Amino acid sequence: MTKNIFSQKLYPAFREATIILAVALFIAVIFNSFRSNNIPLFNFSSAALIKEQQAKIPSITLSEAYDLYRNNKVIFIDSRDPFNFEEGHIAGAINIYPDEVSLHASSLKTKADQGFIFITYCDGPQCPLSKETAHALILRGIPTVKILVNGWSIWLKAGYPVSKGKK
Amino acid sequence: MNLRNFPRHFIPLFALICRLTLAIIFFYAGIEKIINPGDFAVAIYNYQLLPDCAINLSAIFLPWLEVFIAASLVAGIYTRGAALISALLFLTFATALTINLVRGLDISCGCFGASSGNISWLYLERDLSLFCMSVFVLIFDRGWRYFFA
Repeated sequence: MTKNIFSQKLYPAFREATIILAVALFIAVIFNSFRSNNIPLFNFSSAALIKEQQAKIPSITLSEAYDLYRNNKVIFIDSRDPFNFEEGHIAGAINIYPDEVSLHASSLKTKADQGFIFITYCDGPQCPLSKETAHALILRGIPTVKILVNGWSIWLKAGYPVSKGKK
Repeated sequence: MNLRNFPRHFIPLFALICRLTLAIIFFYAGIEKIINPGDFAVAIYNYQLLPDCAINLSAIFLPWLEVFIAASLVAGIYTRGAALISALLFLTFATALTINLVRGLDISCGCFGASSGNISWLYLERDLSLFCMSVFVLIFDRGWRYFFA
């Protein structure tokens, strides 16, 4: 019975799948070589990508961020969703999703006047949330904003203080 | 062209509905990604699962594979092969999603090009539902001939 199912259904399926895969690969490579906005087949550079991202936005290194943190001159803003925030965040950070910036703008502005620097972070080198929150803060007149790229991962990896829960 | 056995047998009809639904989803997903291969490469990179040398090739190949699967499913040609690849793809996507949800990465899904929302458990449920549909098509699909004499 099992042998029957294999010969009737699965073997032809594998044979057909191989043909589809081969044709799709062939067409994909040919199309890519002729299109105007093509990408190289193998040379994806993550280092170049991160560099490009950092050039566009004001960012801060982990060691600089930690120095400011120790001197109590910084407020970390966790741009991830509340669920991730509660699971773990930089100790003392406040959770502000990009959409929620307007709710916190006045209190943050007071802090900015007192000389605090704001550092937004999320998770992953390409995570857009920290950038979005940073731009939203700048738009609302808070100029001292920087981004810690891939912030949560590198902070955690460095073993710096973290906390869990809503605060 | 006469309608035959329609709608007497539910299973082949349901397999047909699944097949066409999958085709629409694959076609839309594929076209969105073909338009901007660079953005899709970044989305793949964000999953942090593939080495840099495999990212661009995947970003070029995967959208076309999705379009070919859609074409096969609609035309009823090589349907089993398309359903098999479809099932394997959804299983791969579900695994990649699970790994990154467990890791806690807050990244764009990349499921339908760069404008997709961020990954969540809901997307995992969607992938697993589509996986089940693919398996159903693989086993029960009878092709267009079943409905049209």
